[in-house]
Amino acid sequence: MVERRMESRLSLILRVGVVASAALMVLGLALNQITGDVSYPTGILSIEWIIFGDPFLAPSHILFLGFMILLSTPIMRIVYSTVFFAVHRDYLYAVLTSVVLLVLIFSFTMGVGG
Amino acid sequence: MTPEYILFSFLISLFSGAAGALLGLGGGVFLVPLLIYILGVPMHLAAGASILAVIATSSAAAASYVDEELTNIRLGMFLELATTLGAVTGAFLAFASGENLLQAIFGASLIYSSATMLLQLRRSGSVWTPKRNDDVAEKLRLGGGYHDKATGEDVSYGVDRSPLILGVSYVAGITSGLLGIGGGAIKVPAMNIFGGVPMKAAVATSNFMVGVTAAASAMVYIRYGHCDAFITGPVIFGTLIGASVAARMTNRLKGSTIKLLFIVVLAFIGVKMILTGAGIW
Repeated sequence: MVERRMESRLSLILRVGVVASAALMVLGLALNQITGDVSYPTGILSIEWIIFGDPFLAPSHILFLGFMILLSTPIMRIVYSTVFFAVHRDYLYAVLTSVVLLVLIFSFTMGVGG
Repeated sequence: MTPEYILFSFLISLFSGAAGALLGLGGGVFLVPLLIYILGVPMHLAAGASILAVIATSSAAAASYVDEELTNIRLGMFLELATTLGAVTGAFLAFASGENLLQAIFGASLIYSSATMLLQLRRSGSVWTPKRNDDVAEKLRLGGGYHDKATGEDVSYGVDRSPLILGVSYVAGITSGLLGIGGGAIKVPAMNIFGGVPMKAAVATSNFMVGVTAAASAMVYIRYGHCDAFITGPVIFGTLIGASVAARMTNRLKGSTIKLLFIVVLAFIGVKMILTGAGIW
């Protein structure tokens, strides 16, 4: 059944996001405890810092990469469902999920731009 | 960041993640006060950690709920339309002076929902009579079903009064965008009372949605430095573990047990919102 296939893929997407961010939390916190490194930018965080860090993969940067993976997990599952519904010609739901996605992108740009 | 701090923060979030997953709430309602009163985390950093913890609860629990078919994916996606639009609306509204009144009104409506659910539970006990899809729900195929591990039965249900649930979900989105509270606390009773969605399915479906609503506002929190790496890190880890473990147990509990727990927590949140609105807490 098609619905069942979507469910198991959705579940997999969520699981990958959860495991990846949990692993980054452990890694970042462990490195912080070992090195005592708490380097951290002040004020509004730049997108550059969130992506590249300073230095790259400092404990705080590893944790933020985990936060970003966590944040993208629900978005990924909406992207996947939109594509799934479109491919299976369920246009009503394809439109419904695209609108949700657009609203999310809109609110995201407020966060990125603001 | 001392190891003791990390351990306590982990334990607190283990609890709030588990409770959030079981009741279909983000878990922020437990997490924020615990972080503030036990660990002395400043208010805005507790809120920042909480918004990401809500996403963690949602994703970790949904990984199990979706697999067990407790989550009604179509209903979730239909209502997400309203909750995300509501969250954006809430972010634009600036009730500088009306916020307290709003808190109190929502608090009162949560207590009312809690009382309604209690009456319903006392009247029907653990017996659940499924409803039929209304016209909109029929068109959108919103009805669902799952295998109940507590009773060993296959449950299938329709969704009644779906336009009303959509409207209430929009209001739920506004409150979470505006007050940072109330998404799941409003959606679960709406699905259960108005729609006749069984408690487990309502909890799992609400849980599925709260992550998306939180994701809509989380980027702002991250950019403005409300998500401190070392305060949020252990919280996320504890929440992920707590929610994953609790979500595996939900289907083995009786629906009426979950409902009773939900009623108690809902009344508590309602009282807290009224006190906050009145400036007492």
